[in-house]
Amino acid sequence: MGRSIVITLVCAIALVTAAAAGQDNEAAARGEKRFEECASCHSVAAGEHGVGPSLHGIIGRRAASIEDFRYSPAMRKSDITWTPETLNTFIADPQMLVPANRMAYAGLIDPAERADLIAYLQQATK
Amino acid sequence: MATRLKEVDVVIIGLGWTGGILAKELTDAGMKVVAIERGETRSTEKDYSVPNVRDELRYVQRHDLMMNTARDTLTVRNNRSEEALPMRRLGSFLPGEVVGGSGVHWSGHTWRWTDMEFKVRSLYEERYGKTFIPADMTIQDWGISYDELEPYYDKFERTAAISGKAGNIRGEILAGGNPFESPRSREYPLPPLTPILASQMFTDAARNAGYHPFPRPSANASRAYTNPDGSKFGACQYCGYCQRFGCEANAKGSPHMTVIPIAMRSPDFELRTHSWVTRVNKDSTGKKVTGVTYTNVLNGEEFEQPAAVVLMCAYAINNVHLMLLSGIGKPYDPVSQTGVVGKNYCYQTGAAATLFFEGRHFNPFMNAGGSNASIDDFNINWAFDRAPHGFVGGYVVGGGFNTVLPIGYRPVPAGTPQWGKAWKAATAKWYQTAMQISASGSVMANRNNYLDLDPTYKNAFGLPLMRMTFDYKENEHKMGRHAADFINQTAKSMNPTTMNPATARTDPWTVVPYQSTHNTGGTIMGTNPRTSALNKYLQSWDCHNLFVVGANAFPHNSAYNPTGPVGALAYWTADAIKRYVKKPGPLV
Repeated sequence: MGRSIVITLVCAIALVTAAAAGQDNEAAARGEKRFEECASCHSVAAGEHGVGPSLHGIIGRRAASIEDFRYSPAMRKSDITWTPETLNTFIADPQMLVPANRMAYAGLIDPAERADLIAYLQQATK
Repeated sequence: MATRLKEVDVVIIGLGWTGGILAKELTDAGMKVVAIERGETRSTEKDYSVPNVRDELRYVQRHDLMMNTARDTLTVRNNRSEEALPMRRLGSFLPGEVVGGSGVHWSGHTWRWTDMEFKVRSLYEERYGKTFIPADMTIQDWGISYDELEPYYDKFERTAAISGKAGNIRGEILAGGNPFESPRSREYPLPPLTPILASQMFTDAARNAGYHPFPRPSANASRAYTNPDGSKFGACQYCGYCQRFGCEANAKGSPHMTVIPIAMRSPDFELRTHSWVTRVNKDSTGKKVTGVTYTNVLNGEEFEQPAAVVLMCAYAINNVHLMLLSGIGKPYDPVSQTGVVGKNYCYQTGAAATLFFEGRHFNPFMNAGGSNASIDDFNINWAFDRAPHGFVGGYVVGGGFNTVLPIGYRPVPAGTPQWGKAWKAATAKWYQTAMQISASGSVMANRNNYLDLDPTYKNAFGLPLMRMTFDYKENEHKMGRHAADFINQTAKSMNPTTMNPATARTDPWTVVPYQSTHNTGGTIMGTNPRTSALNKYLQSWDCHNLFVVGANAFPHNSAYNPTGPVGALAYWTADAIKRYVKKPGPLV
């Protein structure tokens, strides 16, 4: 009996995890469409810089830390590490978090759309 | 002695919209293409990104993206009795001189010119009789139809990311669009830009008066977009720096971020910058061209680049200049009215009123190049009867903003002192409260408006400057007065606190201030080699392996901005050249 509870529990956890992963994937798929707004300047491929730097490996990276990209002084001085949380604040209003940075983007207002975009970035920039 | 280089399939002179489109299309078709450009390579990454691009002194006052008049310019005069003098500083119009050409610094307004232009003489004669057209008005049909060009308009609109609302899809009139436009096969690739207060107020006023306002179609992407070639556009940020600037957000359809980088990826394409073509060379028969001679302007070295096909894709009037310098086609003579090269040079006219509304905030610093509502009731609306007004052509009216410069934009009511304390107080008071209603009007060809080589002045290469002889004629004065009356009537209906009324341009044309970079004609297309320089495929009647692509081919100028048909004709010519190389010879 104890054993079946364990099995049931394991199954339940697996189901919850699978469901969560499914939701993440759905959010990331929506986020990929949102990323079209970013793609004229940013690539998720390693080393591929456009108007903005490559976003490859962005999660956990310090701002302005890619050596071969010319960042703005504002971004260099920003002392930010990119996490889903800091990205969320930045994308909502880039000039609010890092005044005088060079990104030509006014911000993504809708929190749900930002969550989708960040879900995509977490997957695509690994 | 020029160094002779290895022959290529195609040489392109000038790499802007037309050169870029042809470079991409012809390398795609497997041809080996060399492009020769006077200016240097500029990119969004290095040059047009913020904050550096937002530099009014560099781009507006010092013309950083434009033709350098210390090296080459034009001489200008109003009529043949005057001595033409060199234009030593750019003013009235601003030809681009970088990779991307004027397609970098344009605003993006993109119209489809219709059969009202292409069949101008036939239509006016049919409706109003032959005597309605003045004897000195040398308008003629273009030899092409809207239906032929429709798929190419469509193609260019998709390449350049045009935001707009269709008014006529396959004959069905649609609410919100321009009801007078000719039928299009499908909707614009992107929805219209977000309207601004000024465009909304003009829309309401025009609609209340029974007219048909619509959002101006424009190459400012209203949202992120990937074009059919895979070029990626960001969404317009309404930053207010459009006209005269490269786009910091890659949201303005421009050749340097669409067709040119695609051509650059082809191993069959080569770009030579800082290179100035001084002559297109002819063979001994004079019926074919053999290539071009150019100078590397960095070190003065001269080269000859042989090519099976030569494409002149420079700025419209610079194409005409090169035709005259190369001795291709018979120069136009206004006295005997013979010859074709230099004939039917046209410009545009206009009128504008500034309206002041105390207490309103227009936020003029926030707009796109195409933040503008327009009406075509006095332009391509054929139901508008020209007979009582006695003019040929028309004008398009718009209300909104485009590139309101932080330093240059100082609207104040007429009568305000031009400097000092009172001026400062007025500019602070009225800055937020002003909006403009303006008209852009067509200019019909006239036998006395033309281009030829100047007998006196020479450029840095020792070659004669081109001479421009131009003035507005009675036809344009009449139209200007009609436009000014309409604008003032509409403005009054909006009850502004005060206004600076519109007036017609009836003084002689001058090269200052800025008016419009819409110079057309000089090597016009047509059906007859005696009256036109090019056939309907923009192929030279004289040398069948030479194509001259751009607004230089327009037999007259309409009220619309020219880039729509310029882009469409470049795609149209690309298809013609693909046929031509299989069976070289005259296509007509």
